[in-house]
Amino acid sequence: MYKTFKPKENVHTPFLFFTGKGGVGKTSTACATAVALADQGGKVLLVSTDPASNLQDVFNVELTSEPVEIPSVKNLFASNIDPEEAARVYREKTIDPYRNKLPDSVVNQMEEQLSGACTVEIAAFDEFSHLLADDNILNQYDHVLFDTAPTGHTLRLLSLPTAWTGFLDEGTHGASCLGPLSGLGDKRDMYRKAVQSLSDREKTTLMLIARPEESSLIEANRASQELRNIGVQNQMLVINGLLQSHMQDDKVSIAFYERQQYALNKLPEELKQLKTLSLPYVSYSLTGIDNLRKLVSNNPFVETKEVSNNTEPIQLSKLNDLVDDFTSRNTRVIFTMGKGGVGKTSIASAIAVGLTEKGQKVHLTTTDPAAHLDYIFKDNDKKENLTISSVNPEKEVEKYKQEVLEQAGKDQDEEGLAYLKEDLESPCTEEIAVFRAFAEVVEKSENEIVVIDTAPTGHTLLLLDSTEAYHKEMSRSTGDIPESVKKLLPRLRNPEETDVVIVTLAEATPVIEAARLQEDLKRAQIDPKWWVINQSLYGTDTKDPVLNGRAVAEKQWIKKVKEELSDRCALIPWMKEEKIGYHNLKEMINA
Amino acid sequence: MNKLKIFDPAMCCSTGVCGPGVDPDLTRIASAVYSLEKRGVDVTRYNLANDPSEFIENEKVNHLLNEKGADVLPVTILNGEIVKESSYPSNEELSSWLQIDTSELKDKPQTRVEIDINL
Repeated sequence: MYKTFKPKENVHTPFLFFTGKGGVGKTSTACATAVALADQGGKVLLVSTDPASNLQDVFNVELTSEPVEIPSVKNLFASNIDPEEAARVYREKTIDPYRNKLPDSVVNQMEEQLSGACTVEIAAFDEFSHLLADDNILNQYDHVLFDTAPTGHTLRLLSLPTAWTGFLDEGTHGASCLGPLSGLGDKRDMYRKAVQSLSDREKTTLMLIARPEESSLIEANRASQELRNIGVQNQMLVINGLLQSHMQDDKVSIAFYERQQYALNKLPEELKQLKTLSLPYVSYSLTGIDNLRKLVSNNPFVETKEVSNNTEPIQLSKLNDLVDDFTSRNTRVIFTMGKGGVGKTSIASAIAVGLTEKGQKVHLTTTDPAAHLDYIFKDNDKKENLTISSVNPEKEVEKYKQEVLEQAGKDQDEEGLAYLKEDLESPCTEEIAVFRAFAEVVEKSENEIVVIDTAPTGHTLLLLDSTEAYHKEMSRSTGDIPESVKKLLPRLRNPEETDVVIVTLAEATPVIEAARLQEDLKRAQIDPKWWVINQSLYGTDTKDPVLNGRAVAEKQWIKKVKEELSDRCALIPWMKEEKIGYHNLKEMINA
Repeated sequence: MNKLKIFDPAMCCSTGVCGPGVDPDLTRIASAVYSLEKRGVDVTRYNLANDPSEFIENEKVNHLLNEKGADVLPVTILNGEIVKESSYPSNEELSSWLQIDTSELKDKPQTRVEIDINL
């Protein structure tokens, strides 16, 4: 069995990166590690780079990009790199001096241009690399911990230093996408040092966090390889939420335990080479400093009182009710959104299957670079009315490049093409390419129902935000704008065409984040109608003390979703096995 | 010696491939400017997003912006005089202003060989 992860014994480098599929407990593990290292006397900085950060929920402190001391933990400092915020600060700094010197229409145009994906990415990267490259940081802190964004996003964030260093070297003409940060060339040394720190095993450890679940471990393996390929060699695997024992006469308890053991038996070969530790499944929620300390202490368990689950049960809809509702309202575009790891992909797949069963023509797709639709439908007997695709950033970039070269490059000679190609190498090409693919897939809703499993929260917001930014920019471009792009935002805002399903677990962090997401969506004039509570132990009859403790703790969050947050709410009980394949997904609808 | 200045609207990159759709006119003007530079013409482009100060310091451009707003961009100035506003000069216009044959305005920059940085 795996030894328990103890920060005091297992942390040997100043920089630690926590990565893993959304919802595996990166933030909790990073926070528990930070608190333990600080308690031991080291000075610790904990940095979140997730646009939808929830560090502030854990410590109950407002965070900014400047480190602030956590009042209740001596030696612990925390900060939050919010890419949107970093871009806003940069924008103000650039535009402010010109506000009264240039007419409003001109200032507005500058503002719009500096609101694009490029600026956001550059600003975030700038803050991030500063921490890795500045020697003063390591004079000030013994450890710097990065609680990074869910995997797809993390990979991009972490691979930026290499991509960008290359990009800076290859740029041959002055004007390019790096324009928004004038004088970026001066920072070349800083970026180079950032890359060096990342690949130095004395300096950086990559902490791969995974749940004892097959898909989570596959994802950890993918991340491990991808990061090893860009030079991050020093890696450690932490299996989070491992159930230590089970009750012999409790079906749910046995199934829960066996499901975990089964997944661990199938641990990918490459991961077996890594140093692997575990953290136990506990009944308490991992918010608040006392609970974090307890998790990595010598006795992580609490006494649980026997509590009955059955007092005044909460009545909730089934997934089937949701499918019926969409059918009767003839909804054309359906999104699933929520924190990473809550099961958006499974729910989107189940909804797609449900609608197909009603005789509808359905297209299911994902914009999450880390999603696994292929895996869910791997043994699928082909259904005529259900098609599946995924918006893969790398492929979309290639497709977009081809398209541009064909269109704009048709009157160009060899050298002209080379010139165009160079601009296409810029980092923001990906944002545009993904965006256009997204618009294209939404357009399919003219002929069939489109179910979209979106990327995790923060990334989704960036995507929606760029929808708006592009919408504005279109009004002054003379270029050729695809019809699909023009129609996108009006379509997303039309409740008769589009619906958003918010997916959550009955736990503090996913619910708080989902509520925040709902507010953001409402500001963008998109009003989610349904919430789905997934994998609920409350929906089972387990008597296992740890699992039952969790089930009881779920109740307050289920109530909050039902009574305060949602119009309509469905609950799916925890299930014995991951739902893979068309027929298994069908079961989920009626569960 | 002729001196040509082009004041661009705020944009991400000079070829426009970063926009929601590619504007072929931007690709054309990028090539033309490069060709002019290669033939020794003093030509400079200012992007509102990168060099806003130029849009204040140049009195003629500043005056035009205050009078007509941002839609007046791009503005082209030849030897201190405004010769074109609201759109880019055509290759024919560039050719007649600068006495360079239009066939010579289609050069493209050489791209460098990729550099592999070993860390």
